[in-house]
Amino acid sequence: MTATHISDGATTTAPGDTGGLSAGTERRTGAEALVATLERLGVEHVFGLPGGAVLPLYDALYGAKVRHILVRHEQGAGHAAQGYAAATGRVGVCLATSGPGATNLVTALADANMDSVPLVAITGNVASTAIGSDAFQEADIRSISMPVTKHSFLVTDPDEIAATVASAFHIASTGRPGPVLVDVTKDALVAAADETLLQLPMPGYRTPSAPAPEAVRDAVELMLTHRRPVLYVGGGCLRAGASQQVRDLAELTGIPVVTTLMARGVFPDSHPQHMGMPGMHGSVSGVATLQKSDLIVSLGARFDDRVTGAKHTFAPDATIVHADIDPAEIGKNFPTEVGLVGDARETIDLLLTEWTRRTAAGATPQHEAWVRRCRSWKERYPLGYDSPSDGALAPQLVIERLGALSDPGTIFAAGVGQHQMWASQFITYDEPRRWLNSGGLGTMGYAVPAAMGAKVGMPDSTVWAIDGDGCFQMTNQELATCSVEGIPIKVAIINNAALGMVKQWQALFYSERFSHSQLPSMQVPDFATLATAYGCVGLRCDRAEDVDATIERAMEVDDQPVVVDFRVSQDAMVWPMVAAGTSNDDIQHARDVRPDFGEDE
Amino acid sequence: MTLLSDYPPHGPGLPTPAPAYRPQTHQQHPTKGTTMSDAARIRHALSVLVENNPGVLARVSVLFARRNFNIDHLVVGPTEDNKVSRMTIVVNVNAEQLHKVTSQLDKLVEVIHIEELDDADAIRTQLWQINDNGPRPVGAMAAAAF
Repeated sequence: MTATHISDGATTTAPGDTGGLSAGTERRTGAEALVATLERLGVEHVFGLPGGAVLPLYDALYGAKVRHILVRHEQGAGHAAQGYAAATGRVGVCLATSGPGATNLVTALADANMDSVPLVAITGNVASTAIGSDAFQEADIRSISMPVTKHSFLVTDPDEIAATVASAFHIASTGRPGPVLVDVTKDALVAAADETLLQLPMPGYRTPSAPAPEAVRDAVELMLTHRRPVLYVGGGCLRAGASQQVRDLAELTGIPVVTTLMARGVFPDSHPQHMGMPGMHGSVSGVATLQKSDLIVSLGARFDDRVTGAKHTFAPDATIVHADIDPAEIGKNFPTEVGLVGDARETIDLLLTEWTRRTAAGATPQHEAWVRRCRSWKERYPLGYDSPSDGALAPQLVIERLGALSDPGTIFAAGVGQHQMWASQFITYDEPRRWLNSGGLGTMGYAVPAAMGAKVGMPDSTVWAIDGDGCFQMTNQELATCSVEGIPIKVAIINNAALGMVKQWQALFYSERFSHSQLPSMQVPDFATLATAYGCVGLRCDRAEDVDATIERAMEVDDQPVVVDFRVSQDAMVWPMVAAGTSNDDIQHARDVRPDFGEDE
Repeated sequence: MTLLSDYPPHGPGLPTPAPAYRPQTHQQHPTKGTTMSDAARIRHALSVLVENNPGVLARVSVLFARRNFNIDHLVVGPTEDNKVSRMTIVVNVNAEQLHKVTSQLDKLVEVIHIEELDDADAIRTQLWQINDNGPRPVGAMAAAAF
């Protein structure tokens, strides 16, 4: 080892120069300070997997008040922390060792970054004296995670551990939530730590305040004068806990509402003003309401390409009012008439006040014709599906029955693909934080660990993972965690023996050349046996008449995880669909069936 | 061989005069959804105060790469406060893109303050005079390609 150190602007002592204190002092080690900080911040659960670089931290966790849940793969820890955060609204915490442990977290970090999930990832790293030497299990995770986190820290000074962890929680949970990585070197974990510094200064970190009064005034003015407005509600309202405000605004103004994939449940699906989900696999009424509107009031949504379709044809008549806590979102994808930067809850409250003031002063919006038109689309083009002609089980039926037989408080976590879309379409979400999925990044394998995390955070709620046979095989090792740690989740595998969404695209756009999209999941693996091997109850169902009885049997099990292998039709497709790169105007209600939106006003 | 930008640049004492900056030829009007429109690009010089932390340069340059922006010139130096560094970044973008890149930059926790400087071309010229002491790049790309 060389004796030279390159000076490090963030640290006041030379890295690695921590041997001066003897064992008898009262100061705690960096690792103990880290665990104490977690306790001070009220962290109850941590998902992680130990390794060489975090051994000191795991020693400090031994007997700590924080419950550590030992996962089987770090990606599972990351998604579990995401599920935990999404279901509870608190910050999810995951822990991994250096090198491969840290890189295995990257998918979950990127996922949390896309979906604005408050997450703190703590990783160990090799001793600061070994950094840059290509040491065993060394990876520059701070740099690796830069483009996929809200912020990332590398801590080499034990005195900064407590402050950095506290600051990480602050960054993760304030403003637009997101993942924050704290990478701590092993020598900092073992050295004695001065814990007097409680927060890093962070002069560049500012959280937006409430939107400007003029912007609120202009937004309400547009809402009053336009005849075809729509409230485009996104995941930001979910993270801000603004579902009551959204409902108040919708009911006060009478404006139709669409909720994005991330915002399912923020506004009740059963509400008459709810026009459904917009986007590639949204409902016809959801897509049409957005597409034909003349004013889009976006509340915490980000005009994702899956919502807008081909951008140059999106909502040609619409003026945009964009409310978001992230100033960089305003005008990112579309020119915005009025930008409202602030927390969704506060922003909507201001809109409510201004609307009430204006209507009391005599302003009368004229939305009736538009509302009638939206409702007619909703009535004329409800979501539906055909029963497979060969008598196979319809996947949509399974998901519909799951939703119908579950309590209102049940949480559903989905993977990514056809089953995710069906789960968003055929289950009625009337409450927020009941629908967890990977929306932005589209991470297959999200469902099982996210359901596990959600069940840890919400032990009294039933948690169903609705997963595909492809997704399930990416992260099913966490069933072992669920069995051993007593986390009785329920998994419904929608097993169509294919990477269904890939196969659907190949069927539609690649002349049914099913290149590498079919899996032998009806033979290998046998999911019911696999479940039993993991200490879960394994069930199987392949007939429509058995669906209800199987779901009820799964519901009865309360002390063990349950896995149900629903063997469904291999030909089912997700409809409606706006094909990638085409206009929302070209939505197909079913294959080659285009809805008639009627004449414009 | 076509170089990606006007390289080598303007400046005294160069063996050959630099080609003038060519704006992108295909004109496109910034409309809905054409987020990375090339229309009306101008050089803008940003003076950015950042926390003097290790890795801050990487974080700023990763952001430019991640958001599909190109840095024309970049200088990092100290300020009178040893906890704060100053980055001078010259980007060649239109007004809409400039707004986007600065709002993304402003979100970085370690970025304290952003200011646009007047006369980006003057800064560019001076930066090139400093760069001119380095080895000549002419032909380096071609040599590597064959």
